[in-house]
Amino acid sequence: MVAASCMLTGRISQVPRCGMVENKNDGEADSGRSSGKWAVPTGRRTDEWSECLVLIGKSNDRAAFTRFFRHFAPLIKAFALAGSSLSAAHADELVQEVMLKVWQKASGFNPEKAAASTWIYTIARNCRTDMFRRLQKFDTPLAADDLNIELEGEEPFTVLHTRRGSDRIKDLMGQLPPDQAQILAKVYMEGKSHSEAAAELDLPLGTVKSRVRLAIQKLQVQMDRQ
Amino acid sequence: MTKHHPSNDFLMEHAAGSLPVAQAACVSAHLSYCERCRRTDGQLQTVGGAMLERLDPVSVSESLLDTVLARLEDPAPLAYAGQTEVSALPGLLQRLTNKDFSQLVWKRVTRALSISYLSTGDTSHEFALLRIAAGGRIPEHTHGGNEMTLVLEGGFSDGRDSYHPGDFIYRSSEDTHAPVALDGEDCICLTVLDAPLKFTGWQHRWLNPFLKLRAS
Repeated sequence: MVAASCMLTGRISQVPRCGMVENKNDGEADSGRSSGKWAVPTGRRTDEWSECLVLIGKSNDRAAFTRFFRHFAPLIKAFALAGSSLSAAHADELVQEVMLKVWQKASGFNPEKAAASTWIYTIARNCRTDMFRRLQKFDTPLAADDLNIELEGEEPFTVLHTRRGSDRIKDLMGQLPPDQAQILAKVYMEGKSHSEAAAELDLPLGTVKSRVRLAIQKLQVQMDRQ
Repeated sequence: MTKHHPSNDFLMEHAAGSLPVAQAACVSAHLSYCERCRRTDGQLQTVGGAMLERLDPVSVSESLLDTVLARLEDPAPLAYAGQTEVSALPGLLQRLTNKDFSQLVWKRVTRALSISYLSTGDTSHEFALLRIAAGGRIPEHTHGGNEMTLVLEGGFSDGRDSYHPGDFIYRSSEDTHAPVALDGEDCICLTVLDAPLKFTGWQHRWLNPFLKLRAS
């Protein structure tokens, strides 16, 4: 049997909106922002969803859950269909699984540590991996959740630092050049390995890797230079 | 404090969920030792969250919402294993080894080296624990492919550097090395291989035909 990552190859259906940003460099990026069409999400919006999660976690608030569902379920469905061979029925099943986990795990959500979108992305990513493995009869004792090491017990300063980093990443995402945004979409939304992305886009592996690196640098993800 | 870390490419593929399960398990075990890489992993997941928010929504039927609302009171699975304990033996290894190393079946390869194969379900990667006797040497070898190593107990040196618990080492097929366990205690490492080892010294070359990849 092939490695799990190879199973994710399939058709491409979704390209994130930021892939259509036409700015080629940082200097032009601001004009894109001010046009309003590709407006960068504000911090406020994120807070709304974090508040929903806190309400769900604290008091099993069904109204908050319904609001959260209406916003995120269509995004999870888009994620399910992105670049994979999941049928519409399986995509709906994934939405169900993810949303039930949201309900069950919301009490563990800490708005200080992660944005709601990051938190649900991780759940969706893990559910999708497990679903692929199930569908491919890939038998493993490790669920994707087992491989998820959460940040915990960090210093308040570190938490604040991490949070600022996250806010910055969201703001900068809209300014990525299309070729870099496209690769990130392959890797993150379609679950492709770098070499699979290279094969699909008919690019040398080195080009894919350097675009990924440039994108990560632009987003100011703190990584070590290598 | 770990000194040797997975490459940024590995961290990124891990955050995006695209690493094969055996490699993902090894990177993840490193994260349980290394706060710095956990932080990077957190930021890389934020990139995923930000991309998710920018997808074009695909409409979901009202009946799906009703189905989910009706199932909210279903009992949740007993435990979510996601909250892996930081430090100690990484939780995922505890699961694969039934808590500790004492009950593992060790297969002796040389006087200094024993191997215990674990099953991750990933049939293209061998996932194994190596035990190198204190001060013992693994005969010089190359790899047909690539090797991830994570030190769990003790330590070893390979002429370039020395490695301690939590350190992550990646060697490609071009690298030849002959690791020596540090004195004082046995060294236990997790290794993930995508092709069998090849011993290069004349004394051990006869072993090569026996070194098949045990991926399961």
